[in-house]
Amino acid sequence: MILRLALGSLIARATTVGMTILAIALSVALFLGVEKVRTGAKASFADTISGTDLIVGARSGSVQLLLYSVFRIGNATNNLTWSSYQDVASRPEIAWIVPISLGDSHKQFRVMGTTPEFFNRYKYRSGQSIEFADGKNMSDLFDTVIGADVAATLNYHVGDPIVVAHGLASFTEHKDQPFKISGILNKTGTPVDRTVIVGLRAIEAIHVDWQEGAQVQGQTTPIDVIRKMKLQPKAVTAALVGIENRLQVFGLQRAINKYNKEPLLAILPGVALQELWQIIGIAEVALIGVSAMVVITALIGMMAMIFSSLNERRREMAIFRAMGARPRVILGMLILEAAVIATIGAILGLALMYLGVYIAQPIIDAEFGLWLPSKAPTLNEFLVLAAVIIASIIASVLPALRAYRLSLADGMLVRI
Amino acid sequence: MKIVHLIAGIALSATPSLAEETTQLDAHEHGVGQLNIAFDENKVAMELHAPGADIVGFEYGAKSDVDLAAIDAALQTLSDPLGLFLLPEAASCIVITAHAKLESEDSDHDDHDEEGHDDHDEEGHDDHDEAPGHTEFHAEYLLECANLTEMSAITFSYFEIFPNALELEVQVISDKGATAFEIERDVAKLDLRGIF
Repeated sequence: MILRLALGSLIARATTVGMTILAIALSVALFLGVEKVRTGAKASFADTISGTDLIVGARSGSVQLLLYSVFRIGNATNNLTWSSYQDVASRPEIAWIVPISLGDSHKQFRVMGTTPEFFNRYKYRSGQSIEFADGKNMSDLFDTVIGADVAATLNYHVGDPIVVAHGLASFTEHKDQPFKISGILNKTGTPVDRTVIVGLRAIEAIHVDWQEGAQVQGQTTPIDVIRKMKLQPKAVTAALVGIENRLQVFGLQRAINKYNKEPLLAILPGVALQELWQIIGIAEVALIGVSAMVVITALIGMMAMIFSSLNERRREMAIFRAMGARPRVILGMLILEAAVIATIGAILGLALMYLGVYIAQPIIDAEFGLWLPSKAPTLNEFLVLAAVIIASIIASVLPALRAYRLSLADGMLVRI
Repeated sequence: MKIVHLIAGIALSATPSLAEETTQLDAHEHGVGQLNIAFDENKVAMELHAPGADIVGFEYGAKSDVDLAAIDAALQTLSDPLGLFLLPEAASCIVITAHAKLESEDSDHDDHDEEGHDDHDEEGHDDHDEAPGHTEFHAEYLLECANLTEMSAITFSYFEIFPNALELEVQVISDKGATAFEIERDVAKLDLRGIF
């Protein structure tokens, strides 16, 4: 009975009520959307590297090693000498090891030297492999494979020649040994997209005539001669390691960390990613805070709407009272109205959020490499909806109490 | 009281014979131990590293009978993983191997600090006087569990048994990759749902 009255009253004021519902729906959609992006970003972040059991580099901190070896942010404090690399590689626990060598650049992108095996071993998003969008893996010494962002930004195609610059922000280029693009990778949403990948031997090849970080004047070894050289690196920046038996991971990690010929560090990528997220994850708290504010604002808007409606509904209330409705009924009706508004708003908000995710999902994935899962609503999301509805009921108590008090004496005395 | 010694990769020049090798000390924080757990199919490998101060309350080379008995008792307790870490009944785990030993920081190879001290040469002793040798208990376990999927949580009675232990830094590796947790004395439970 009260519900019917409440619904009838809401329908009668369709425009204002509609606007309030819309405000609540948008705020709920925003809140849930932010939550979705947050969990999606966290998952995408954690999925940057998978399938690699350990990352080995010179001893620094686990986050730093992760930053320069996987995210190509910052620089290595030291390199991993080739003999230590060989020692690690020859350990029986190791199933595969992929060296990476950083330090040179092409335009704004980093150049990474590695072995062709990198493309089979580097996995992202729970075991997904890197795929070639165009072309194929490196086969020649001066072949290069570029990430999707590199190709898109610089408008490169398979077969184009590129010249690698020495160092990260320098004007000296390895002009004598140009590379040819042999393949372009699919977008992965990982730092691989922004990397120019060349062979480990090629990194040595372009530095043949270089000493002490500068090109030796007037000395250019012909490419034919370089091709015949052994080109064994003296050091690499880091190595990705896969392990034979997972139970041995910690033992190998400890053995590498205690390696006494050179201070080395082996990290578990998952744990280091988690540490890194703890540092940058503060921003997520801020995001949640802001979207919670928006929900609160919408609820206060609803409260204001009910308050202002009280005046215009004085006659309505008076008629209810005259018909025998008790003040408690008036109170109940107003609270019920608020609950109905909030429920519709919350459900609409949930629907809006899913619609948004459905539309934006492929765009966001392609643009930012951020995958937003469109899974069924989680318990948390339902809790958020419940919280919004309960908050709206609490917010409506104030105007409802006012109506309760007024309806006792007011209404009949209205002079128009 | 937390004593943190973060001395890594410092070459000690006091001993000529060691001059060419680097000497390294692991981080050592009283009250905080490390526990590594690797899950693979139905096998569980666990490694515990705990400062001597957490387990027996001292880190000097034990000489008195009381201290030696305390170390023996601790090694005995540490050799029973299912008593330290309570696993769900439903997982039905059995211990395949369990080893526990006491390691001194002075040398990686000395299992028992108290024996090691007497063997050291004169120069070696000078180093010890400057940096007090910390000791660590190391334990390694291999378990086999019939229903690893039932491994929903681990309850740490470790903290009840060793009142000086305050925290365990736990690293877990499973099919889903590696994750880290911090288990503290007041909430001595590790939730493993979502790991498998």
